Amino acid sequence: MIELLRLCGFEEPDLEAELPRFEEAFNRLGITSEDVEQIKQRLRTYYNVELLGVRKLLGLYLEGLVNLVLAREDGKTKVIYGIMGAFDEVCSACVSKSDDVYMSFPSEIFEIVLGSMFGKLVPVLEAAEKAWLRAGTVAHCANLKTLLGLLVSDLIPRPDLVFTSGFLCDTAPKTTDLLSEIYGIPAFVQDTCQDREISEYPDAKRTTDLMVKSARRFAKRMEEVVGFEITDEMLWEQLEARKALMGNISQIRDLIEHGDPLAISPTHYIYLENLPRLAASNSEFLRGAVEATSILLDEVQQRIDKGVGAVDRGAPRILSSHPALASDPRLDHLITEMGIALVANEGGALFPPDGGHTPPVFEPKDPYEGMSMSLHMSLLQSLRARANILVEAGKRLKVDGTLCLTHVGCRTVVGDSLMVKRALAEELGLPVLYIEYEGFDPRVYNHEKLKRELELFKTMLHGGVGTQ
Amino acid sequence: MEGERLESHLEERIDSLREAKKNGIKVIGYLPGNYVPEEIILASGAVPICLVDGGDIRPVDAALSVVPRQICPFAQAQVGERILRRNPYYEMMDMLVAPITCQHLREVAEIWEYDGDIEMFKLGIPHNYGGDFELEYYVDRLRALAERLQAFTGNEITDGKIGDAIELYNRMRGSLRELSLMRSTSPLPISTLDFVKLNHASYYADPGFMVEVLESICRKMKGKQVVGEMESPRVLLVGPNIANGDYRILELVKEAGAEVVIEEVCEGVRYYWNLVDNKGDPFKALAKGYLEDRLPCAFMRHSARKRLDFALKLIRDFNVSGVLWYELRQCETYDSESYFFERELNKRNIPMLILEADYGMADVGQIKTRLEAFIEMVKGGIEY
Repeated sequence: MIELLRLCGFEEPDLEAELPRFEEAFNRLGITSEDVEQIKQRLRTYYNVELLGVRKLLGLYLEGLVNLVLAREDGKTKVIYGIMGAFDEVCSACVSKSDDVYMSFPSEIFEIVLGSMFGKLVPVLEAAEKAWLRAGTVAHCANLKTLLGLLVSDLIPRPDLVFTSGFLCDTAPKTTDLLSEIYGIPAFVQDTCQDREISEYPDAKRTTDLMVKSARRFAKRMEEVVGFEITDEMLWEQLEARKALMGNISQIRDLIEHGDPLAISPTHYIYLENLPRLAASNSEFLRGAVEATSILLDEVQQRIDKGVGAVDRGAPRILSSHPALASDPRLDHLITEMGIALVANEGGALFPPDGGHTPPVFEPKDPYEGMSMSLHMSLLQSLRARANILVEAGKRLKVDGTLCLTHVGCRTVVGDSLMVKRALAEELGLPVLYIEYEGFDPRVYNHEKLKRELELFKTMLHGGVGTQ
Repeated sequence: MEGERLESHLEERIDSLREAKKNGIKVIGYLPGNYVPEEIILASGAVPICLVDGGDIRPVDAALSVVPRQICPFAQAQVGERILRRNPYYEMMDMLVAPITCQHLREVAEIWEYDGDIEMFKLGIPHNYGGDFELEYYVDRLRALAERLQAFTGNEITDGKIGDAIELYNRMRGSLRELSLMRSTSPLPISTLDFVKLNHASYYADPGFMVEVLESICRKMKGKQVVGEMESPRVLLVGPNIANGDYRILELVKEAGAEVVIEEVCEGVRYYWNLVDNKGDPFKALAKGYLEDRLPCAFMRHSARKRLDFALKLIRDFNVSGVLWYELRQCETYDSESYFFERELNKRNIPMLILEADYGMADVGQIKTRLEAFIEMVKGGIEY
């Protein structure tokens, strides 16, 4: 166990002090000493653990899992969970004001730690499938299965509120509706309307205004749960507090996207993508995230300067039209092993007009408007607008091809997928590999099939804009 | 008599619409789900046509080139009809009003917008149907729709015209409800298949003509002496929709010895159960009538309890002895909700069978066997 914690960036004296908590949490999750040995091997295989920044990142998530499992024992009287929700700053404002409040995104934490790091997520998914998110052709999203499975298995405390959003799907709100009806867990849905027309693009005022109203309603609901007022000043503070973290992540992304060789494996992208959201859980997480990303930023720059990377210099570059895989590093690892540089994915939040990572700049009149900037990201746009942003991102990144990685559990993503593929192929004039995949379920990984497809894809890659 | 008149009207409908188009009248298609007020389209002088065809596997297969199989067969069928170019209603649309309801129908709108070969208005439907600012948003979108239709048709939409249209459609909904309620007793004065077909006809026929036919049928039904006994079990069908042409399930239930006596689907109870209160600002009246007052679909927020309570009322009022949950393949919200319904109905000793449809023939044998077993089970009725 000590060795695992060191591998995850923990150092004395914190390591000794934290050990009993980790042992307690592992015990509850059924992680044995044999498992720990396999986990260490897994981390060395899939992650650049030679980098301190990476080890610190792994440690942040691991600690997040332990804090979540032990939240009630830690004296947290108000436990709040989010799944695919927004307005994290509302949560972090509450957590900052009161030690009684705890906030987490259990699916994201468990998919990364129990899934990607430990390879032990499947029993959680199976538990959900025995309830209402059944397996089979209906293809329920495994991100939701994770939350449901954790709750029905009693692996995490019952929350005082679970919130989600309807920005992208109806399954998440339906799941929280049923959590409320069946288990009496209070639920809240943040909403807007997915009715933007391409003629309005990139303007999103109408849907943003609706989102702002929903954000205010969310804050009111949170006030009822935590028992104190959430002021605009508290939210501005939270928005300000994240700037250092967002800046670090943005610079790391820039280096990854434009450096040659690709500095680190894409298996790490999901860890970076989820940091801002998970920073809502407590101030220590935010501090730790800033520290880890600062270290990683320096290390990534050094690797590029030395010509050290996850793939060789000059490797073909690709963009993926889907967020990184959350619960299984094997596909990202395979892509890297095959010498392909996956330089960016849509989960890194691509924004109009050029598929960059910065939302359209404007001066928000209040923090709620500021928090609603995420609504501009490609995944939440209309199909035509989403395709435009991806095409522009492909041009900006000078890729040689694109990976149309389709998360079949999401109706929006899968519904768009064939048209997105068409747009990428026709408008970029580059090879596209279309892969249907459940983005949160490691059971779907088929190594030999994927390897064959990627081998063929790689032969088609050179000669694109990236090599011109 | 009315049946023949209606049949003849529908046969001539395509030609009459073509003629109307020559005279500058616009045909406005809209996707079903009960959130597009036909009244606004009618008030613009255009002809509203609901795109509700389904049940045929060919358009579903045709759609696979642009929509993956994870999208429901009804939504695929809508996309497929435009690809096959065989269905005149889908071909003659001048404009589409696409309500942004479930993710599947939203995708139909997205794909047609991507293709860009048809004028489109996306009508945002707030999924939190009971909220204050959501209702305001819907009112605003209805006003925006009216403005778009005015510009598109060149006709002014007045409050008076909308009020007249509400009156007409209220008569339509009222007649359908009256007919439907006649099925609360045995034997049924009208078969469910005939009733559903009448309901579907209302989406394509001239609304004035349809109201006249429905009211005439109601008058005759009231005086009709129904003879014979009906011993067969009475079934409530719950599901996202029964498309125009998707009649196999009703036929199979009948063949298995039971009768669907009431259907809680978009093109059923949810459409005609409530009237629009035709007072004050017509846009607010329509918004309230369509968004707030109607039974929500499963994709709506916090809808499971309300939908269950309504189903329990139907079970009592229609003397139902079993519930048939008829969901379309890949319909994720109905699939989730089926667990809740089955759990709650089990507590009340009400049997429920869950069936999935994909419009194909491969599973008909299996469905038939399961239905027969279910009907045998419910023959004894419910012991409350």
